[in-house]
Amino acid sequence: MKLIDCLLRAGMVLGFVMPVTTTGAATAPLSTTSQPTGLHVQMQSELEPLAINQMHSWIIRVQDLQGDPVADAQISVDGGMPLHNHGLATSPQVTGYLGDGRYRLEGVRFHMNGEWELRLQIDHAGSPYRASFTMTL
Amino acid sequence: MRPTKFAILALTLGLSSALAYLAWQHVPAPLPAQWSQQELAVLRSLSLQSLPPLPPAPGNAVADDPDAAELGHRLFFDTRLSANGSVSCAKCHQPEHHFTDQLPVSVGIATVDRNSMSLVGAAYSPWLFWDGRKDSLWAQALEPLENPLEHGIDRSEIATLIKSDTDYRQRYESIFSPGLNQQSDDQIFANIGKALSAYQRHLLPGTTRFDDYVANLDDSGELAPNDLMNTDELAGLRLFINKANCVDCHNGALFTNNSFHNTAVLSAPGILPALGRAEGLRRAQADPFNCLGDFSDANPDACQELRFAKGGDDMIGAQRAPSLRDLSKTAPYMHAGQIADLAAVIEHYNNADLAMVGHNEAKPLRLRAVEKRQLESFLRTLNGPMATDSRWLKPPTTLAPDASTILQATDTQRAVK
Repeated sequence: MKLIDCLLRAGMVLGFVMPVTTTGAATAPLSTTSQPTGLHVQMQSELEPLAINQMHSWIIRVQDLQGDPVADAQISVDGGMPLHNHGLATSPQVTGYLGDGRYRLEGVRFHMNGEWELRLQIDHAGSPYRASFTMTL
Repeated sequence: MRPTKFAILALTLGLSSALAYLAWQHVPAPLPAQWSQQELAVLRSLSLQSLPPLPPAPGNAVADDPDAAELGHRLFFDTRLSANGSVSCAKCHQPEHHFTDQLPVSVGIATVDRNSMSLVGAAYSPWLFWDGRKDSLWAQALEPLENPLEHGIDRSEIATLIKSDTDYRQRYESIFSPGLNQQSDDQIFANIGKALSAYQRHLLPGTTRFDDYVANLDDSGELAPNDLMNTDELAGLRLFINKANCVDCHNGALFTNNSFHNTAVLSAPGILPALGRAEGLRRAQADPFNCLGDFSDANPDACQELRFAKGGDDMIGAQRAPSLRDLSKTAPYMHAGQIADLAAVIEHYNNADLAMVGHNEAKPLRLRAVEKRQLESFLRTLNGPMATDSRWLKPPTTLAPDASTILQATDTQRAVK
């Protein structure tokens, strides 16, 4: 297990994180497993369908591998448009814990059509995890 | 003989190459028969028919109060709001020029270092000024009043004017609250900004040939020239939403995402490169008249743009993308009017040189000469009259019966001009 963890952490450090992708309206939540493995992470936009130039929020849901909600995560969010070599138009922040492993992420506004990436850094029980999501507007 | 043959061959090859190059540069590519469904969706998103209702102005409780708009209309054209009695808002935001002044950089009391931004559709932008140093239309209206190079007046002189002019006093107390004499200069100053904002919310763009073209498109997406757009204009539109990448930033019905982008525009001669949004956001966050400030009517939860704004090094040299509607009246272009005409703007983006500060988001477009002309042709289809009642586009003509003689004198002077 330790070797696998080391390899996954090396992958994380190198930015080798498999993203989850959606296109158009985010009608279903996006899901992925963190890197290193340890958390299930879901994201769902509160703006449907996703659209440019509108400030909106997302709900992030964090569970451990047994499916139990994670209540004490510290989550920070970054991202951008990989093909355009620029970051997000805003600085989204997690502003509250909603219970049942759910967190509200406020302050997301996409300002161009195209492929966007949201990268989450989740600190839980003293360990850092990463989860990456891509979406096309 | 052999040298002669060689020369003829070389000449033929040279001429053929030159002709091929000229043809490649200048012969237009044929248009496809149809717009794709994805292109159709983009075209409709750019049409004025897609423009949503005016966004709420949470910091300004009188944003949609007709009486506040009337007061703002009077203030907008009143030259008494200046140190020398000759500068009103309308000096740099002229209705006949799409609320700009056609100068590279504006001249109020003296010359400033920025190009006058159009006010048409400005109520849709969460950020104002080229560098976004104000987070509302009402807060924006305050800064030029106290800028020594623009109006050169201060909030105490403005409060004195509102108190001493009977018409202004009555209107103010009716809109905001009685007891003007007990209100602080800061409060009166903020309310004046709110009235000016209520007026400016009426300044909206009107339908253009492009909008009519999109309105007439059916789902088949037939791409053929017609009375509304000719072949060059349609080719330019295809470039705008595809190869030229213009739509990345100039998106939505106002042809702007109202966000901040470094596109390597050179600073004006003799002027240091502007820090742009990196500095603008710092100023907005420190502004006592921002959405979270004491004079804002907003619940802090409604101040999302300010709370989650992006600043820092990524924003160095980034300026706000302006609307492309009615470009015929807003030249010269860019934050200090550095680029004189549309052809030069297109050339700027075609080259996408290195930025003086920060990094250029744009990449070279490699447009052919004919494509640059087509793109410019399309941009001219975005010219058109405003969708604003004509009475808002000129100074108010009716005065309250007991308006001060000073105001009447000012209006007479204006009429003479």
